[in-house]
Amino acid sequence: MGTLTELFAPERIAVVGATAREGSIGRAVTSNLVSEYDGTVVPVNPNYDEVLDLPCVDEIGEADADMAVIVVPPKIVIPALEQTGEAGVTNVVVITAGFGETGSDGASREQELKEIAAEYDLNLVGPNSLGIMSTANGMNASFGPESPEPGSMSFMSQSGAFITAVLDWANDEDVGFKDVASLGNKAVLDETDFVDHWGQDPDTDVIIGYLEGISEGRAFIDTAREVTQDTPIVLVKSGRTDAGAQAASSHTGTIAGSEQAYEAGLDQAGVLRAESVQDLFDAAQMLANQPVPENNDIAVITNAGGPGVMSTDAIGDSDLEMATFEQETLDEFSEQLPPEGNIYNPVDIVGDADVERFRDALDIALGDDNVGSAMVLSCPTAVLDYEQLAEETVKLREKHGKPVAACFMGGESVDASAHILSDAGIPNYFDPSRAIGALDSLWEYRQIQRRGYDEPADFDVDREAAREILERVEDRPDNRLGVEAMGLLEAYGIPMPDSEIVDAPAEAREVAERIEGDVVMKIVSPDILHKSDIGGVKVGVADEEVEDAFEDLVTRARNYQPDADLLGVQVQEMSDLDSGTETIVGMNRDPQFGPLMMFGLGGIFVEVLEDTTFRVAPLSETEAREMTEEIKTAPLLRGARGRDPADVDGIVETIQRLSQLVTDFPAIMEFDINPLVATPDGVDAVDIRLTVDPDEL
Amino acid sequence: MNTLLITATEESTGKTAIALALASIANERGQSVGYMKPKGTRLQSSVGKTLDEDPMLARELLDLDAEMHELEPVVYSPTFIDGAIRGQENPADLRERIRSQFDELAADRDLMIVEGGGSLSTGGIVDITDVDVAELLDAEVVLVSDYAQPGDIDGLLAAVDDIGENLAGVIFNRISDTAFEELDSDVIPFLESRGIEVFGAIPQNKELAGVTVAELATELGADTLTDVDSEAIVERFLVGAMGGDEALRYFRRARNAAVITGGDRSDIHTAALEASGVKCLILTGGHRPSPAILGRAAEAKTPVLAINTDTLTAVERAESVVRSGRTRDRRTVEKMSELLGERVDVDALVGEADE
Repeated sequence: MGTLTELFAPERIAVVGATAREGSIGRAVTSNLVSEYDGTVVPVNPNYDEVLDLPCVDEIGEADADMAVIVVPPKIVIPALEQTGEAGVTNVVVITAGFGETGSDGASREQELKEIAAEYDLNLVGPNSLGIMSTANGMNASFGPESPEPGSMSFMSQSGAFITAVLDWANDEDVGFKDVASLGNKAVLDETDFVDHWGQDPDTDVIIGYLEGISEGRAFIDTAREVTQDTPIVLVKSGRTDAGAQAASSHTGTIAGSEQAYEAGLDQAGVLRAESVQDLFDAAQMLANQPVPENNDIAVITNAGGPGVMSTDAIGDSDLEMATFEQETLDEFSEQLPPEGNIYNPVDIVGDADVERFRDALDIALGDDNVGSAMVLSCPTAVLDYEQLAEETVKLREKHGKPVAACFMGGESVDASAHILSDAGIPNYFDPSRAIGALDSLWEYRQIQRRGYDEPADFDVDREAAREILERVEDRPDNRLGVEAMGLLEAYGIPMPDSEIVDAPAEAREVAERIEGDVVMKIVSPDILHKSDIGGVKVGVADEEVEDAFEDLVTRARNYQPDADLLGVQVQEMSDLDSGTETIVGMNRDPQFGPLMMFGLGGIFVEVLEDTTFRVAPLSETEAREMTEEIKTAPLLRGARGRDPADVDGIVETIQRLSQLVTDFPAIMEFDINPLVATPDGVDAVDIRLTVDPDEL
Repeated sequence: MNTLLITATEESTGKTAIALALASIANERGQSVGYMKPKGTRLQSSVGKTLDEDPMLARELLDLDAEMHELEPVVYSPTFIDGAIRGQENPADLRERIRSQFDELAADRDLMIVEGGGSLSTGGIVDITDVDVAELLDAEVVLVSDYAQPGDIDGLLAAVDDIGENLAGVIFNRISDTAFEELDSDVIPFLESRGIEVFGAIPQNKELAGVTVAELATELGADTLTDVDSEAIVERFLVGAMGGDEALRYFRRARNAAVITGGDRSDIHTAALEASGVKCLILTGGHRPSPAILGRAAEAKTPVLAINTDTLTAVERAESVVRSGRTRDRRTVEKMSELLGERVDVDALVGEADE
């Protein structure tokens, strides 16, 4: 599928199912299109000669259109779509509802729709879509009550109702859009297609969206990574909490996917994630209208001490920092400001400051190379003219090419100046923390632009050996494998202690004698999930105790679970737990983003403190290393309290190798190496557990 | 004429399937086969006429003309047992009823298959245990037994003693892969050294282990909310009461499972529809799920059933459906005939093929 340029810039639109009937969707769409659209609208309906004074044709074949909007009843969407395909119209918006969102019948209709779309290679939006809009040509191919004002944000939403609400609000607030798309059921075109298109659209400066799910997580990450080099993307993803996830599932019928996967996936994609609708638009407007800062140091210029302190707290909570001024700047402030003012950041120019003093201070601050951005924070006084201050702020923003946020506090007295600022793309907020939040998004975006994405390493592995081991799951009554599948680690070059699985006491003894020192013995049964809970693990077994230990382990397992499938006993070299740190490397396959890798320190750190970090595989070395660095307990790996540092390179390589294994085999649904013991000399995968879907092998 | 009585050490070890499969095999080999289940134990309806489903299936499969009450002279229902305890039933009369009914059914037959009822001890109240019936009808007894570990053989030997001279031999059924080797290499030679004949051992078989979704729906009296194929086999039940992420992990580990959860838990529903081992979604509490869930289920081709009970009751009922190992249809019997042919000395039981 190519880009969606034609979808948003058609010259002739056929409205299939256009009617003149009051209160109908067919009429609403036709009338919206007629209102401002530069091109030609052709109603298609065999029951009318004309609709809203436009000549009506019987079939889409007669319309000579380059786009079709389908609003016919659900039962006749399929034939209508086929005729559209026949007529060679490849851009289609299906507004009609009554598909997968309504149950079984709808789902099979949606399946048919997908097949026709594939047959005719259609760019199809919907079904169950509010429609699409573009302010470049005045096209409002939707049944929403409002048309957007022109702007440089392009907006997609999985909720049509949310679009109508946003447009109503945005028109009040003078917030404009380039294109708007209601994604509907995403049967064909999904968020990735729109992101891809708008990333190439020179008139779109920021892409924003409301999503409840992402159809193809990995494709989204790859596309968004490229797009965000030039065009920022800000998304609100709902369903963050358990209750939210449940509501999202009920709305769309798709699994919500884990919050960790979204957090990791969207971050890896370079997408800015907004927590609320307010954050979404604060960030988007800033990104659409202001330059990105070169550093995260911010200067605050204020005539009010208290709000100055408030803003400092807000900066402390963000990724921004209070700028430290150069000596030259401090000298200039000393010269310009009254002695009772504060020349350090936040710069307090005192309550009697007029516009000139504000202007001079801001000019000096923005001229400092240490300063990446600035905030003008003011309270109304008798000597301060807000409108003039707004004009000066706009001029200085232009002069220095650095982002500036305005926080002109007050009520009615602010209105006129806020308009001046907003016309120049400087949003004004009452609350300093909102202004800081918006500037913080700019800095976050700056860092995304500076990111480099390196390719995942390609280790030399034995795929065939791994496949054979995974296929053993077919002989199991469930989908689990345990230490009997340790060969997977060998095939993928993940180090593990010397070990063997045996099924007789004498053999156990032989293996133990071959291994230097005492051994660990574990019952091997995929049916026994918590081996140590039933006494199925013995640590530090001397060679002469091995045979008794074997009998004991088997007896315990039999008593605990008589029908458990016992594959034998694993005799394993002891890991050096005294000098080692227990870590966990795992993967859980997310329905939307695919293999989600996890890393954390073992034991209470994972179980109680949930000190874990996540990334969507395949992972580059940089990403794997970030995982080892960003857990709170990372200092323990680096050798806190006099311990020798653990082999972090070994952990990083294990994460990458597991990433390669789970990427090579989509049948692996879940994989835990627990523990992966990291000593100063290397790492050892001591125990593993995995879930394999035999249908995917 | 030869008479085989199929009994078992415990309930639900596969008597019906084995009895009907043996009968079918003999039938195919040109013998005239009759069937009787003296004690009706698998009672279907509690209202009106209580009937055992096994004779109904036998009638259909073996194409028998006899009436149900002839195939099943004693209905061993709770009411019957209460009466027997109060002395309202005369054991001698009951034995006579069974004997005369048997004679009628056996007339002109080459082989009579008599299916035992319940476990070996069922019927002791009125002296009509399977052992009593075998003596009464002069039947050779085939003892069906399961096996998990060597300790189980104590119980088997006690049963063998109980049956005494009438014992023809033992068939092991539903043996797990884990236990099979041990049974075959150690246990069977041990029994043979004790003079006990073992006709064979049948491994656990997936097609016999579970029930189809359609059967499950009928048994539970559930409404089927989807229009997708419901022939998939369900062997186990998972209860979804955790968060969506955790549920998905849990569901993915299982195979041939049905997920039981409340109709309002859309996060669990979508997780279940995502896991390939989940063959059916059973919604409790009489709630309908959101239409989008049903759409997604149709797409995933996973049937959704709705029942009016709470989740706990649903689990109990569903598990009892799977546990009681219904031999409800031709499919089960056909599969069992195939397994008997492969694993069991059928010739010794029903005679050579070319007879």
